[in-house]
Amino acid sequence: MRKHLLALGATLALSPCLMAQKIGVINSMSGPEAPIGENITNGIKLAEEDLKKKGVNLQLVWEDDTGKPQISMSAMEKLATRENVVGVVGPYTSACSNAVAKLAEKYHVPLLIPAAAKEEITRQGLAHVFRMNAPADKYASSLIDAATSLGKPRSIAFIYENTDFGTSTSKTAKDYVATKGIQVVADVSYPKGSADYRSTLAQIKSKNPDLVFMVSYVADAILLMRQSREVGLQPQAFLGAGAGFTTVEFAKERAISDNVISCTQWTDDVNWPGAKDFGARYKAKFGKEPTYHAACAYASMIIMAETAKASGGDRAKTRNALKAGKWNGIMGEVKFADYDGFTNQNNHHMLVQQIIAGKYETVLPAQFATKKAVYPFPKWK
Amino acid sequence: MAVFLQSLISGILIGGVYALIGIGLTLIFGVMRVINFAHGDILMVGMYLTYLIFTLLGIDPFVSVLITFPLMFLFGGFLQKVFINRVLDALAQNQILLTIGLGLIMSNTVMLIFTSDYKILTTSYSSATIKVGGGVSVSTPLLISFLITAAITAALYWFLLKTDTGQAIRATAQDRDAAQLMGINVKRMSIIAFGLGAALAGTAGALISPTYYIFPQVGSVFTLKAFVITVLGGMGSVVGATLGGVLIGITESMSAVYISSGWKDVVVFVLFLLVLLFKPSGLMGKSRT
Repeated sequence: MRKHLLALGATLALSPCLMAQKIGVINSMSGPEAPIGENITNGIKLAEEDLKKKGVNLQLVWEDDTGKPQISMSAMEKLATRENVVGVVGPYTSACSNAVAKLAEKYHVPLLIPAAAKEEITRQGLAHVFRMNAPADKYASSLIDAATSLGKPRSIAFIYENTDFGTSTSKTAKDYVATKGIQVVADVSYPKGSADYRSTLAQIKSKNPDLVFMVSYVADAILLMRQSREVGLQPQAFLGAGAGFTTVEFAKERAISDNVISCTQWTDDVNWPGAKDFGARYKAKFGKEPTYHAACAYASMIIMAETAKASGGDRAKTRNALKAGKWNGIMGEVKFADYDGFTNQNNHHMLVQQIIAGKYETVLPAQFATKKAVYPFPKWK
Repeated sequence: MAVFLQSLISGILIGGVYALIGIGLTLIFGVMRVINFAHGDILMVGMYLTYLIFTLLGIDPFVSVLITFPLMFLFGGFLQKVFINRVLDALAQNQILLTIGLGLIMSNTVMLIFTSDYKILTTSYSSATIKVGGGVSVSTPLLISFLITAAITAALYWFLLKTDTGQAIRATAQDRDAAQLMGINVKRMSIIAFGLGAALAGTAGALISPTYYIFPQVGSVFTLKAFVITVLGGMGSVVGATLGGVLIGITESMSAVYISSGWKDVVVFVLFLLVLLFKPSGLMGKSRT
C-alpha cells in the first residue's frame, strides 16, 4: 500500500499538469486601503473562475497585509518558504510592494505586482519582480500632456499626500513640467487624513495656478475638491493622479467631481480584447463597477497562473517565461520589458479620462476617446 | 493677508470641534483619573450613528445631534457602569489597557458591520461657503458646527457651575474621598461624567461627519489629538481643553501655510513639548500632589 502511495506521489509530482498551481496573493484586505484592496480581491476571484474554465488547476494562498509593509514582508516570507508557492501576485500599495520586491529577489520567487505606482520598484534591477501597471511617471506625463494638448497652461501647483505614492508621483511630475516650460508655483505635501486643507488651498489660490495637480487616495480626494470649491480655487484644470480620483464614490460627488481630469490604467469602454466583457461580468458578479485595480489584478493572475502551469510549477522556469512572454488581453498588449532604467516593466498605455455628468469618460488618447474634453474647468457654481 | 485670515478662520472653526473632543476627555479624566484611550473610537461610533440616522431616517447631521447626544450619553454611562467603575482603584496601566481594549472592540465591531469602506456624508451644504469679503470664505458646515460647539460648551459650563449635579461632579473631581464623605454618590457622578464625555465625543463626531469622512479606524487620529489638547490645556480643566482645542486648530492651520502642511503635526508636537517644558501642568492645570 505504502509503495503504491509512493508511486502515486511520484507520478503526481512528475505530472505537473495534474497538480494544482500554488500561487500566493498578498493584498490589503483590511485596514485603510481595504476599499481598493477589495477590487484586487474581486479581480483575482474572477481570474480564478476563468482559469478553472480553461483547465488551469489553481490553488491560491491569500495573505492580508492590512496595508503595512512589515506585515506584507512576513506574508512573503511565509509564501516563499512555508507555502512554497510558484509565484506571487500583489501586494497593492507602493510601500508594501517595494518592501516585498527585495524578498522576492532573495527567495527567487517570481512576483507580479498588479497596481503599485512607485517607479523605484522596477528600477532596482530585480530579476524576479514584474509589474503590470504603468508606474508613477506615466500618470504624471499623460496628465500633463493632456493639459498641454487641451490648452496653454503656464503654471502648476502640486498638492499631494506625503506617502511613497504621493511623493514619487509628484516628483516625476515636477521633473516633467520642467521640460515643458511650466512653472511650479506651489509644492505642498500633506499628512494623510487631515480634516482641514482650507488654509493650504487658500495659499495655492493666492498663487493663481493654471493647473492644480493632486495625488490622493480615496477620501482625501473628495475632501480636497470640496474645500477647493469652498475657497474658490479656480484653475484651468484639476488634474487628479491616481487612486482617489478614479473611484465611483468620487464620481458620485457630482457637485465637486465633475470635469476633474484623471488618468487610469484601464476602463471598460476601451477596445482591448475582453475588456467590455470583463466589465459586464464583474458588475454582474460583484454588483459594482470594476476599477483599474480589478482589471490589473485579473490580468496579472491570468498571466501568472498560465505561465506557472506552462512552466510546470518551477519558479526559475516561470520567471524566464514571464520575461520572454507576450500577452494580449483586457489590459491590452502586455510584455515585461527593460527600458529607461526599468526592469521587467510592462510599458502600459495610460488612458486620460474626465468626469462628465457624473460618469468617467475617456477623453485621450483620441483612438479610445468616448467624449470630447471640457477645458478649461468651468466656474464653480 | 487673505491667506492669513483664511487660515486663522479655518483654524478657529476646526479648533472648536477639537475643543469639544478635548473637553469630553478632560471631563472623564478630571472625575475618574482615568485616561480614556477609547475616546476617538467613541467619536467614531458617534459618526456612524449620525451616518445611520442620515441615510435611514434622512435627518440632517446637525439636527441629529439631538438624537446622538442622549444616545451617546447612555452608551458612555453603560461603559462606565459595566467596565470602568471596576478598575477605578486599579493600576493606571490596567485602566489604559481596558480603555484601549474597549476601543479595539468598538472599531472592529463597526468594521464587521459596515466593512472598512469609507463613508461620505453628502449634504446640500457640504461644500457651501459664506463669502466674507477680501477673498476670504467661511465653510458653512464648519461654521454651523462651531456655533453648535459653542452652544454646547456654554451649556456645559452652566451645568457644571450652576446645577447641583454639576457641582457634585466638580466636587468629585476635586477630591473623590471628601466628596463621598459629604454624601455625594461618586459612582453615580462617575457614570454621569463618562456619559457626558462620551456624548461630547459623539457630538463632535456628528459635527465632523458632513465635512470629513467616516471609517472604522478614524478614531485613532482623534484619540491622539484629544490627548494632546487635554494635556496642553491641563488635565481635568474644561477651560484649558477649550483653549487647547482652539490653539491646536490655529497652530495646524497656520503651520500648514507658513511652514509646510507635511510638518504641521511636528509643529503641534513641538508646541506641546514647549508648554510642558515651561508649564508642566498644562496651560490651565493646577499641579496636584
